[in-house]
Amino acid sequence: MFPLKKRSRKRQNNIIPGFRLSMGITVTMLSLIVLIPLCSVFLTLSGTTFADFWRVITDKQTVATYRVSLSCAAIAAVVNAVFGILLAWILTRYEFPFRRVLDGLIELPFALPTAVAGISLTTLYSDKGWIGRLFDRIGVKISYTTVGIVIAMIFIGIPFVVRSIQPVLEKLNPQYEEAALVLGASRSRIFFKVVFPEILPATLTGFGLAFARCIGEYGSVVFIAGNIPYKTQITPLIIMNKLEQFNYAAATSIALVMIVFAFVLLFGINLLQARINKIARG
Amino acid sequence: MKQKMIKGTLILLGGTFLVVMLVLPLATVLVYALRQGWETFSKSITDEYAVKALQLTLLTTGITVVVNTVFGIFAAWTITKFRFRGKQTLTTLIDIPFSISPVIAGLVFILVFGRIGWAYPLLEAMNLKIVFAVPGIVLATIFVTFPFVSRELIPLMQAQGNDEEEAAALMGAKGFSIFRRVTFPHIKWALLYGVILCTARSLGEFGAVSVVSGHLRGKTNTLPLHVEILFNEFQLTAAFAVSSILVLIAVIILILRNIVEHRIKREKR
Amino acid sequence: MYVELQNINKKFGGFQAADNVSFSIEQGKLIGLLGPSGSGKTTLLRIIAGLETPDSGTIVIDGQRVNDLPASERGIGFVFQNYALFRYMTVFDNIAFGLEVQKKDRAYIKERVGELIRLIGLEGLEKRRPHQLSGGQKQRVAFARALAPMPHLLLLDEPFAAIDAKVRKELRTWLRETINKVGITSIFVTHDQEEAVEVADEIIITNKGRIEQIGTPVDIYKNPATPFASKFIGESIVVEDYGRFHGFETNEGYATAVLRPEFVHVTKVDKELYPHASERGKVEDIFFRGNVLELRVNVGGEKLIAYRSLEDDPLTVGEEVSVLIYRLYLYNDRQVQLVENASLNNEQTFYI
Repeated sequence: MFPLKKRSRKRQNNIIPGFRLSMGITVTMLSLIVLIPLCSVFLTLSGTTFADFWRVITDKQTVATYRVSLSCAAIAAVVNAVFGILLAWILTRYEFPFRRVLDGLIELPFALPTAVAGISLTTLYSDKGWIGRLFDRIGVKISYTTVGIVIAMIFIGIPFVVRSIQPVLEKLNPQYEEAALVLGASRSRIFFKVVFPEILPATLTGFGLAFARCIGEYGSVVFIAGNIPYKTQITPLIIMNKLEQFNYAAATSIALVMIVFAFVLLFGINLLQARINKIARG
Repeated sequence: MKQKMIKGTLILLGGTFLVVMLVLPLATVLVYALRQGWETFSKSITDEYAVKALQLTLLTTGITVVVNTVFGIFAAWTITKFRFRGKQTLTTLIDIPFSISPVIAGLVFILVFGRIGWAYPLLEAMNLKIVFAVPGIVLATIFVTFPFVSRELIPLMQAQGNDEEEAAALMGAKGFSIFRRVTFPHIKWALLYGVILCTARSLGEFGAVSVVSGHLRGKTNTLPLHVEILFNEFQLTAAFAVSSILVLIAVIILILRNIVEHRIKREKR
Repeated sequence: MYVELQNINKKFGGFQAADNVSFSIEQGKLIGLLGPSGSGKTTLLRIIAGLETPDSGTIVIDGQRVNDLPASERGIGFVFQNYALFRYMTVFDNIAFGLEVQKKDRAYIKERVGELIRLIGLEGLEKRRPHQLSGGQKQRVAFARALAPMPHLLLLDEPFAAIDAKVRKELRTWLRETINKVGITSIFVTHDQEEAVEVADEIIITNKGRIEQIGTPVDIYKNPATPFASKFIGESIVVEDYGRFHGFETNEGYATAVLRPEFVHVTKVDKELYPHASERGKVEDIFFRGNVLELRVNVGGEKLIAYRSLEDDPLTVGEEVSVLIYRLYLYNDRQVQLVENASLNNEQTFYI
C-alpha cells in the first residue's frame, strides 16, 4: 500500500483550502523583499561593460581580499569541524557538571549581536586584553592580524558543526559501539571505524555552513580585522569601502562574485545533503 | 582507568575551548562595562542617543518579527499543504538570504532605493526616503532574517502530514479555522522557536543595517551601530556598557531558546 | 443505485491508478474494496470522497453528479487509515468538530456526541486525548467522528491496518454490527482478503487500476471471474502440470490450475476410498491452525496444501498418504474454468 499512498499524498489535493491566498502572499512577499532587490544587482551591472566588471573583480587589492576571506574562513571551518565533533561527542555521550549550561551556550554566537562579539573579541585579544597579553609576551599579535580574523570566524561558526552532528550522535544507537566493543575493537578504532563514518556527512554539512557563514560575516570580523589592504581586508569589507566611496558599480561587481560563490557553495551543500538522505533512506 | 582519563581530557579540551571562545568574550563585556564604576555605566546606558538607539532597535525588531512570522506561516502552509510545480525552487529561493553576506543584503536596497536606484525617482516624487532612513533599516533586517520562521515550520509540518487537515476540511472547516484549531497546536512551539531566533538576529543585525543606515545619531542608529560608533571613538566603557544591554537580551534569548527546545523535544515523544 | 462510478480514469505520472473504472453500489450495503498494494483501491476511495479529482469519468452519489462538488458538501464521512484524529483535542472535541463546523447549537452537539460515545462504548473517556487511547479505541473515535454530522455514505481507508491482530478480529465484528445498526451505506478499503470476506456484504476486487470482479464473498469464492480473483480470494496454490493428476486432463487452452485446500482430501492409505481418482503423497509438514490442521503434502514434487479435521486419525510427518483432488480451477490470461475430478465421477456412477 505504501508506494501508492505516498504518491497520492503528494498529489495536489484540492480539499485543504487557502492555496491561492497563501501562495499569493508567499510569492509576493518573497519577490518584494528578496528577489526584486537581489535582481537589482544584475540591473545595476547591466550598465557596466564586461571588461570593467572583470577589471574590478580581478583588481589586485580585491583578489587579496578573496585570499584573506577564503583562507581564514577555511581555517576557521576546519577548527570548527574538529572542535565541533569533540563538543558534540562530550555533550551527547558524557555526563559532567555544567553540561547543560555549556550545551545552552553553544548558540551564543547566534544570539549575541555580532558587533558586540566583535568589540569584545578585539579587546580580549588585543595586546592589553586578557588573552592577547599572554600572546603579546611571546611576540604574537592577534587583534588586527589574520589570526584575529580566524578567531572571530571560529566564534561565529561554532554552532554549525556541533548542531549538525549532535542529532546524529543522539540517534546513533550505542549498541553499534557496544557491538564493536564486544568484538574486541579498541576505543579509537571504534571511533574511526564505527562512529566517524556515521557523523562524517553531518560534519561536512556543518563545515560547509560554517564556511559559508564565515565568508559572508561582517560584524564580528570587522573590528578585529583592522582593515589593512592586502593583509587583513576581507571581501565584505572592501565592498563596504567601495560603498563609502560611492563606487556602486565596483561594490556591486564584487558583491556578484560573492553571491555566485555563495550559491555554488549552497548548491554543493544541498547536493551533499540529498546524497546523505538517499544513503540514510537506503 | 584509561577510559576515564580520555573522558576527562576530552571534556577539559572542549570545556576550555568554550570558555575561551564564548565565556571570556561575555565576561569581557561585563567587566569592561563596569570597570569605571556603576555611575559611568548607568550614565552610558541612559545616554539620550543610547536610549534612542535602543528604541529604534526594538521597533525594527518588532516589525521584522511580525512580518517574518506572517510570511513564515503562509510559506510553510503553501509548501507543506499543497503540491505544485516549482515547490523545490520556491523552497530554495526562500533560503537565499541565509547564504548572502549581510553587507550585500544592505547593498541591494541601496541599489533599489538609493540615489542610483531604479525606484529613486518614484520615491522622490512621493517625497519618501527609504535608504539612510528607518524604512531601509527595517527592510534590510527583514531581508536578513527572512527565512527564520518558515525554516522552523516547514520540516515540522512536513513530518506531521496532512491527514488531520484533510479530515477537518472534509467536515467543512474553513481555512483559518483549520489552521487555528488543527495545525496551530502542532506548530506553536516551533513557531515560538522561530520567532526567538528571528528576534535574536534582528536585535543584533549589524552588517546589513550598517550599509543602509547612514549612521545618523538619534535618528538611524540602532543599538549595535551605536556600539560601533562608541568603540571607534575609543569610548570603551560606554561601548561595553551599551553592549551589556545586548548581552543581557542575548542571554535571556538563549535561556528562552533552551526552554522552548526542551518543550519541542518533549512534544515529539 | 446509490453510488455510481462511470469510466473513472486517474493517472499519477506514469502510474495508472484507475483505468476506466465503473461500478455501482446499492444503498445500505457494506462494500469491501479489496486489492493488493498499488491496485488503486485507495485512489478510488479518495476519488469518491473528493480528496482526489479523476482525470475523466463521472461520480454519482444519490442520483447527483458530484464531480464538481467539494468534498465537504458530498455528505460523506471518512475514516482515515491512521485515523487522523486531532491530536490536540479531546475525544469529545474530536467527535464534535464536524458539528461545530456546521454551527449546530451546543445542546444538540452535546446530545449527539453523547449518543455516539455510547454507540462506540467509550463512556467516561470523553476528556481523553488521542494519545491516551488504544488503537482500537482510536479507531472507534475516528468512526464516531465520521458519523457525527450524519453522512449518507461512510468511507473507510484500511480501517484495521494499524491495529494489532488480536484486537482486529473483535473490531471487525463490532464495525460490521455497528454499521448495520446505523444503517449507513459504507465502503471500506482493504488488502486483507480475510477481512473483506468477513466484513463486507459485497466485495469489489481491484487490480492494477481495474475492477476484476464484483460480488458477494461466497459468489466470488465459488465463481471467480478472473484468474486474479481466484487467486486473491481464499488460500490457494498454483499448479502447472495439472494433467498428471488422476481424473484431470491437460486442456490446451489453460496452462495452469489453481488448487484450493478445500479441494484436497487427505486420508490414511488404508482408508483410501477412490483409488483410481487419488494420488500418493508424503506429509512434509503439519501446522496447527487453531481449529484445523494444515498439511503440506508432497505429491510428485508439487507441494499441495490441505486441511484436516482434528477429529480424524492423526498423521505424522513423513507418512505416506492418499490424496484426493476433487476439483481444480483451470485458468489462462482471461478465463477461469472449474473442472471436477473425472475419475471420481466415473467411479461414483460405477459403484452406484
